[in-house]
Amino acid sequence: MSRYEYDAVVVGGGVSGIMAALTLSDKGFKVALVSKGDPVCCLSTGCIDVMTGSGGPLKGIAGLPADHPYRRAGEETIREALGSFLKIMEKGGLPYTGTVEENRRIITPIGTAKHTCLVPMTMAGAHFDEGEYLHVVSFKGIRDFYPSYITSRMRNSSFSVFDAGVSTTMGIAAKFEDEGFLSRFISWLQGIENPYDRLALPAVLGLSNPVRVMKRISEATGRQVLELPTLPPSIPGLRLFRTLKAALQARGGHLYWGKGVSSVESQGGQIEALTLATTARAARVQGRAFILATGSFVSGGLYAGRDSVKETVFGLPVFHPAERRDWFHTDFFTPGHAIEKAGIEVDDCFRPLGADVQNLFVCGSILARSEVMKNQCGHGLAIATGVAAAQACARGLA
Amino acid sequence: MIKTDVIIIGGGATGCGIARDLALRGVPHCLVEKGDFANGATGACHGLLHSGGRYVVNDPVAASECISENAILRKIAQKCVERTGGLFVRLPGDSKKYRDAFLKNCEEVGIATEVLSPSRALDLVPELNPAIEEAISVPDCSIDPFRLCMLNAYTSRRKGGGILIHHRVIDVIREKGMCVGVKVEDRSTSQVKEIRAKMIINASGAWGDVIARMGGSEVPMTLSKGSLIITNHRLTNMVINRLRTPSDGDIIVPNEAVCLAGTTSIRVDDPDAVEVDAAEVDLVATQAEQMIPRFGSTRLIRAYTGVRPLLKAESSDSRSISRGFRIIDHKNGMISIMGGKLSTYRLMAEKTVDAVMGVFGIKARCRTADLPLDGQDELTGYPLSKRLKSIDSVVCECELVDREAVENTINSLGTGYIGDIQHRTRLGMGPCQGGFCTYRALGIMQEAGRMSPAESIETLKTFLQRRFRGIRPALWGDQLREEQLVESIYLGILNMGQRP
Repeated sequence: MSRYEYDAVVVGGGVSGIMAALTLSDKGFKVALVSKGDPVCCLSTGCIDVMTGSGGPLKGIAGLPADHPYRRAGEETIREALGSFLKIMEKGGLPYTGTVEENRRIITPIGTAKHTCLVPMTMAGAHFDEGEYLHVVSFKGIRDFYPSYITSRMRNSSFSVFDAGVSTTMGIAAKFEDEGFLSRFISWLQGIENPYDRLALPAVLGLSNPVRVMKRISEATGRQVLELPTLPPSIPGLRLFRTLKAALQARGGHLYWGKGVSSVESQGGQIEALTLATTARAARVQGRAFILATGSFVSGGLYAGRDSVKETVFGLPVFHPAERRDWFHTDFFTPGHAIEKAGIEVDDCFRPLGADVQNLFVCGSILARSEVMKNQCGHGLAIATGVAAAQACARGLA
Repeated sequence: MIKTDVIIIGGGATGCGIARDLALRGVPHCLVEKGDFANGATGACHGLLHSGGRYVVNDPVAASECISENAILRKIAQKCVERTGGLFVRLPGDSKKYRDAFLKNCEEVGIATEVLSPSRALDLVPELNPAIEEAISVPDCSIDPFRLCMLNAYTSRRKGGGILIHHRVIDVIREKGMCVGVKVEDRSTSQVKEIRAKMIINASGAWGDVIARMGGSEVPMTLSKGSLIITNHRLTNMVINRLRTPSDGDIIVPNEAVCLAGTTSIRVDDPDAVEVDAAEVDLVATQAEQMIPRFGSTRLIRAYTGVRPLLKAESSDSRSISRGFRIIDHKNGMISIMGGKLSTYRLMAEKTVDAVMGVFGIKARCRTADLPLDGQDELTGYPLSKRLKSIDSVVCECELVDREAVENTINSLGTGYIGDIQHRTRLGMGPCQGGFCTYRALGIMQEAGRMSPAESIETLKTFLQRRFRGIRPALWGDQLREEQLVESIYLGILNMGQRP
């Protein structure tokens, strides 16, 4: 068995885990990140939802119960964490825009408005305004984008359809990496009748450098160009993940990708090492401290049995509504199904309660009572608690 | 106004069977159904073509009907019936006396059986509980109720019969105390139409009493809710029954790529009571697990329930009520066909039409048992090779339904109902239960001009609500994961909860 030693080992390669690893790495610690595979943030819009509500995210957070993970992180850490996120993305070539002071309403693929806080620069112009002028460009055969949903809700709008030869968002985005394709697309655009200033496309403007593609189109057409969020798999979610992962690699963090944890060694209230399941040789990853960032049900951090909920890596105690019949409302659209509260309860240092481990810290949507869907706070919570748990971990390591 | 000889109310197996029978005997008719075909108990059962074994101890007459209809349907409905064969398995503790009575009665009724040792049974169905004492094989089959209805209706259409689906009967027209027609509402246009006929057949199953009352009489019946669950895998290639007095959760039926297990039996008052309780799901899953242990750890894709229209009886236990059927001539121009089961739908139709012939004074022999169902040659089934023409145009990934199939169904039916597409293409029938593809199918529908974008979103909302009702009682494990992803799409990305 191969053996490795680190100051901190982060389990979970999503936004929260990578932000925690980056925070620790910036403080000079030797960090490893273990992930079963690409995270569920690739399924997200790529926007950073911090907290729903028209009064702005911070006001919404102030109204949360005192045991909500956001309240535990505190406003100062939330600001600091989001600020640090913006810097990382700027440096990584995928700049975001927005401020934690306010929410913005962006256009969804069905023409509704969705609250979010920080958005990729390509979505800066995607604000929802029923009266504003908008021309939507869609792609032939694309499965999850039907422009008439948007144009039927907006008074001054129209759409055209381009045949990219492929119909998946992934396939189209890959084509935009090709200069010849981009030129063909631009000359087609110049030929269509479009009376409007704003030009909206589903988010497919390339995989790596969408801002460059956006600017090219914008300069050639004299229109403001913007991307609209799409359904999973979402290109902006994928770009977000890739940029964060690259940032960690650039800082020298070690990545163990595609490997699940097969066993945990602990002694006297301290976790000592993880063994990673691999097809070939098992690896033993030793750490002075550990961070759990495996997410909730979708990413597999939690697993629901018929009547109970398990934490899948360390077997930590999980808080959940007792009876399965109470897990979900009878109405699909009522916000806040009770099961959303399920997760790991922690102390003020983000250490799990009732588990007798001193060197384990928990962050992200696996935290109990986060109610990510109800509060629309997915990535914001991941970033804030990722940084907060890493800071607590760093204090423990120092 | 439409004029015909016979109006059939109800597009389940019985109603469609009656339409075919009338068509083959040359009687003009019109069938009305408030939903799609197989909307009621027909579409919400196991899809089991009984050998009769289940009833043989307590109700040999029903068992005898089953085995003869079983033989007929194997012959006439080859594309609807999968000849799986069935096993009755006896677990430790199950009565040996019941087993003896079972074998004796099967012999008397004419159900072919073979007693198998546990190891022979496990050779046939490797997932069986290895602790079984023995198994008895019977000629049970799996049957596709929706296809069965469609093909029966096909003959009727071909012979000029009217088939109106998505038409709800809002009133029975009476003149001088006689039922002379119905008023129906076209649910897609809200237009009210009048149909007149010499005779009305009430084949509306659980809604039988509601219809009979519109005609000025009533039918005594007991409604019993039966709930079932669907696994994501086909855990057995044979029908598995528990060898004991019929009880809850003791049948598992393979169907296409999945298995259905059920049922429960709970008396209800409302034919529209279709909620499944979490406790029912647990009950059925626990029982099924005893026969096939892996059932307990297999992903469930949803639960559903149907309301059985049983003949009224004094007994309070709905399991002991006869599954036989009865034809009631109300002597007011309406005949009701009550009770029965999917396996004997053809016989029920034959006897009902015989009664109509009697009233009309026509002599025409029933031919439904002799001729194969029309339209079967056009059914290709859904081989993967045919479905997957282009991976890029797949609309439903779970069941591999492509855009062309969806567009063809929309255009050939002229339909604005998402359910019609689901039933005919299997769109949305897989593990995600339409969580991804319904949005797409509706997008295609509005692009085809069948509905406005706003109507399409409203339909999507209604669909999501209905879908959730089916999966909510069985939400744990991977299905719960999937559900949270679906929630994140509709409530998160699309903000369909419409938060301010």
